Amino acid sequence: MIVGQRKSLQELQAMLSGYKKILLAGCDTCVAESACGGRRETAELAAALKLAFQMANQDVELQETSVDRQCIQEFLVDVVAAAQGYDAVLSLACGAGVQALVARLATIPVFPALNTMFLGETAERGVWLENCRGCGDCQLGYTGGICPISRCAKRLLNGPCGGASNGLCEINMARVYDPPVPCAWEQICHRLQDLGELERLYSVKPSMDWSKAGAGGPRRVVRPDQRL
Amino acid sequence: MQPIPEVVVLACTQAVPQPAALRQALQQVGLSGRIIQEPCSSKVESFHLLRILAQGADLVWVVGCPEQYCQLAEGSTRMGFRVAHAQDYLTELGLEAERLGYSRVAAGNPEDLAATVAEIQQRLRKLPPNPARPRQTV
Ligand code: SF4
Ligand code: SF4
Repeated sequence: MIVGQRKSLQELQAMLSGYKKILLAGCDTCVAESACGGRRETAELAAALKLAFQMANQDVELQETSVDRQCIQEFLVDVVAAAQGYDAVLSLACGAGVQALVARLATIPVFPALNTMFLGETAERGVWLENCRGCGDCQLGYTGGICPISRCAKRLLNGPCGGASNGLCEINMARVYDPPVPCAWEQICHRLQDLGELERLYSVKPSMDWSKAGAGGPRRVVRPDQRL
Repeated sequence: MQPIPEVVVLACTQAVPQPAALRQALQQVGLSGRIIQEPCSSKVESFHLLRILAQGADLVWVVGCPEQYCQLAEGSTRMGFRVAHAQDYLTELGLEAERLGYSRVAAGNPEDLAATVAEIQQRLRKLPPNPARPRQTV
């Protein structure tokens, strides 16, 4: 799932300054699960911005809407319809959803309410962890299903750096992480050991082809069978 | 348009079975209050609290049951988290977090209710009028 974080009210207020009729558009899938852009958070943000504008003595009309996924045309049409007559749209979708909306609203500006953070997992209530960077060349099959690209601070491919202590990555020494960041390579080694597959690490992995990760320009997936 | 009450109380029906009595108790100490009945305090969302403040109330109060008596097991506990979450927005906005509060009352217990009224009264005494009140209601 895509994990996001709400921008500060101050940044949003500055971004929206001058608009009198604003539609807030929530997205009820990934960012609802990561509790920053679903229906409930859209209602919270609308109420908080209303308070902010009223404190600044500004008359701004705010309306809320929400769809299941802003990144899909069929769902997005409802937001496009709802946006007609508004001066601006504040989208609580991830960056992909915001841009999908931008492409369909030629004359209405669309602003992001969130900072889109990463592909992650809900590890526990209120804790989301990054565990995939969409590198385009998945290594999980060699690493016991634990991602060294997103979970190792140095993105190492051939074993640990040697800086870990008590199972924790050395970045915990730079600042306090709650919960602390485990050493992904220790996790990989233990996992493969438990599975009796440690020999997967015996051959040296060549360096990654980062062009597949986006270094080769914007990526796309084209499926002729799906285009019919 | 109805006048904006100073305090809006969102009260669980189990904790406050007689909302009229609570409204009267508020009136007796000179407060205009509106009581909204909730099936459980966990039905109160953070955005409800913020919306009511945006409508101009000076204080929004939630009454739930003592945690061990909540009919939805952890509803009353969650209510506390939601009030705290809404208070975070107020802090970010530069508004007093004390504009939101809650208490836990054992099924209409008169002492608990009297303590709630006293706490509401005390809070309102300390708070200036809501600066985020919509302009037309000032
Ligand atoms: S190896 Fe690449 S694709 Fe696989 S989980 Fe890690 S970042 Fe994602
Ligand atoms: S301590 Fe472990 S996770 Fe951290 S950078 Fe080194 S190998 Fe990677």
